[in-house]
Amino acid sequence: MEFSLSRHEHKPLQVNPIKHSQPMGATLAYLGVKDCMPLMHSAQGCASYTKVFFTRHFNEPIAINNTSVSDITAVLDGGDYSILMAIENIQNKEKNLKPSMIGLHTTGLTETKGDDVRGVGMHIEIPYVFVNTPDYEGGMESGWALTVTAMIEQLTVAATEVKTNKLVFLPHLSMQPIEVEKIKCLCEDFGFETYALPDLSTSLDGYWEAGQGKLANGGITVDQIRDLATSSIVISIGASMKKSALALQKKNPLIEHLHFDHLMGLDGCDNFVAALMEIRHTDPKPLMKRWRSRLQDAMLDSHFLIGSSHFVVTGEPDMLAGICALLRSVGGTIDAAISTTFSDVLHTIEAEKVFVGDLEDARGFFEHADMVISNFHAERILHMYHNTALVIRGFPNYEELGNQLKSDQLYEGSTYFLFEIANSLRKVKHEH
Amino acid sequence: MVSRAKIKELMNESACSHSKDKKPGEGCDKPKPGLAAGGCAFDGAQISLFPYADAVHLVHGPQTCLGSSWETRETKTSYTGRDHTQMGFTTGINTNDVIFGGDKRLGDSIDYVMEHYKPEAIFVYSTCVTALMGDDIDMTCKLGAEKHGVPVVPVHAAGFVGSKNLGSRLAGEAVLEHLIGTKEPEFTTPYDINLIGDYNVTGDMWQYLPLFEKIGIRVLSSMSGDGRVGDIRCAHRAKLNVIVCAKSLITLTRKMQEQYGIPWISVSFYGKRDTTFAIREIVTALGDPELIARAETVIAEAEADLEAALIPYRAMFAGKKAVLNTGGNKAWSIASGLQDLGIEVVATSVAKSTQDDIDKAREYLGENGVLMTKPASEQGKIIDSTGAHILLAGGRSLYTAIKKKISFIDVNQEKKTSYGGYNGLLNLAEDLKYAFRNPVFANVGKPAPWEVG
Repeated sequence: MEFSLSRHEHKPLQVNPIKHSQPMGATLAYLGVKDCMPLMHSAQGCASYTKVFFTRHFNEPIAINNTSVSDITAVLDGGDYSILMAIENIQNKEKNLKPSMIGLHTTGLTETKGDDVRGVGMHIEIPYVFVNTPDYEGGMESGWALTVTAMIEQLTVAATEVKTNKLVFLPHLSMQPIEVEKIKCLCEDFGFETYALPDLSTSLDGYWEAGQGKLANGGITVDQIRDLATSSIVISIGASMKKSALALQKKNPLIEHLHFDHLMGLDGCDNFVAALMEIRHTDPKPLMKRWRSRLQDAMLDSHFLIGSSHFVVTGEPDMLAGICALLRSVGGTIDAAISTTFSDVLHTIEAEKVFVGDLEDARGFFEHADMVISNFHAERILHMYHNTALVIRGFPNYEELGNQLKSDQLYEGSTYFLFEIANSLRKVKHEH
Repeated sequence: MVSRAKIKELMNESACSHSKDKKPGEGCDKPKPGLAAGGCAFDGAQISLFPYADAVHLVHGPQTCLGSSWETRETKTSYTGRDHTQMGFTTGINTNDVIFGGDKRLGDSIDYVMEHYKPEAIFVYSTCVTALMGDDIDMTCKLGAEKHGVPVVPVHAAGFVGSKNLGSRLAGEAVLEHLIGTKEPEFTTPYDINLIGDYNVTGDMWQYLPLFEKIGIRVLSSMSGDGRVGDIRCAHRAKLNVIVCAKSLITLTRKMQEQYGIPWISVSFYGKRDTTFAIREIVTALGDPELIARAETVIAEAEADLEAALIPYRAMFAGKKAVLNTGGNKAWSIASGLQDLGIEVVATSVAKSTQDDIDKAREYLGENGVLMTKPASEQGKIIDSTGAHILLAGGRSLYTAIKKKISFIDVNQEKKTSYGGYNGLLNLAEDLKYAFRNPVFANVGKPAPWEVG
């Protein structure tokens, strides 16, 4: 089979898929908005699967509701009945539930039948955002990005002035809660009033509280989203988020847009820090400088092991771009980078093979690789390859704990990432 | 396609104990918008059929259906060939298919699977989108089966037709229609049974199958834990159908009784009493006095071994009280296990139980046991009034345990060891031992320095 980067599929089916669906990305994005009620317009199973998927990844209760479309309503209803009934039923059942927003997202089922989810909004008194996320298009990353764009387009109020020290950044799907927090802290250290959209750092960061988990626990507030057009800077992180940033710029052309494909490795972080320095005319905090030299040291410490190793990396496009760039910067050879879906950012990846595929395709490269960086599903397959190490990244990671606190971004995260990779490599490379 | 008449029939199953309480035609509930939280029919169908490791399970639909569900269940198999239960196959249809139809993609996928994996059979699952698009899945499967010479079974349990339970029923229909009775067994014995509804999660079946072997009961086929497609095709020659903890497959066994004259019984293998009772039910139904005598010997031995192994635990658990908050048959099956270990179960939740389950819970807990209908608000008070030592519940109840400073076990979490059969009790006892011993629930709830008055 010829594996090359193409928009077209190379076989009729997926075997051991790594791709996940658009509505799942939408759910996760809504979970980064405080007290939001994600409402999936779907049959009950789509939401049930999504709930279990994120519950196991984050080890936290996941707030999600669905409109329980049945075979009858699929044909007779245009969406009005099931969406409005769902909201009414939930409120009747949970009298004390005060959602700040209904985050409606569609699925393949409701897109096939073609519901008017925009029109339904006129009958809903709670703030309402809708997004069309059929699961026969795109993937989890694009579902997340579409939802961010929808929130900006439908909630954010247009403005004509900006606050010079206000900044909003738009993290891509694969960023874990702690990574969002670290980026927020860096921007705050530069003196910015900083917002993240969505903000999982205060909702799915795994903190103990007597919460019921019926609405999103934390995150950016609806009022803060409304007010985002007064930011002076919007930063998109990950190619998938570019369009969302442009949507915000449309609300106020005075907003300056900065884009970074990722914040991993020396170059990635340097570009980011340099951009913030230029705006604020100030140096980063001493600790940030210290972390940069730690990363330099880590690169030198790990270059021998990583530089003599072969990698197979799978995942969402924006995550792939970051991981591959960091590995390449210390000489790692990437035999194959396998993406869930097509994205232009894949053209930037330096690897022997870059293509859209599944774990059946990836497996062909496992034999000669020293390490596979992939999701949970690669683990069982790798049991058959004793000299290939595994580091788990991306969704889902069902079995490991503390996924929400794994940080690979910025100088600090990149440093720890390199050590984790090198130490895992050591186990397979020096034992035989 | 699945017909409305068939769904209606499945929703009004005459063999269900609660059917007599309903008006004619009323049947089971349809999911209500906003209130249905559990899995869909497709989920149920997958659960019921996925354990067939020698078959490939091909999901004809968009990405959510399989992408988020494969490799999520610990259904063990002893199959020595390639284990397809831990693999995911999906046509992952795209926009083009939605517009022009997905039959070609499905046909090509069937060819691909046969060329690369050569399974004993393929189950093809329709999903909401492919059902709505109107793909002719029956025809594509028929052509695939003719071309490749293996069963290609269409499973019409698109998610939107109903709940998980209905999906299991539809899976049963597919097996009955396409597999059962299509092959003859190499030989038969008077002690052949079919096991229906045990999916061998964490190896549950392997806790009791060695006992069957000692007694001389032969499992002709399984639907579907550690099952083989070749065996289920011969299921019509069994002398008895044994349903294990699964109401959803009653329709299948009723129809097998009508078509093939095979009687059925429903049993459970949780805890000592249930396991013993189940074995007695099976041998009694098979009716051979020698078999019954052998069963008694095996039961006596197994119970004696278990009792000996439990002595240290019984001392540890003496005087302990438990509150149980979980759904369905767990409401009484775990209660039964706890009681076998000498723990008093003071309350159990029946919020999501059927009438059968409620009756059983009452039977196990006795007159004084509390059957909680609103466990979230009741359990805290009951812990106070009874002085219970442990709460067994879902993760959301953890806070109650911490507030009351008592031990906790998350019974809804994916468990890694089996609680089934006699030996499963030892696994449960081990888990309880560590739970009682663990100070974390008292430690974690201590006030922070800035909260101390």
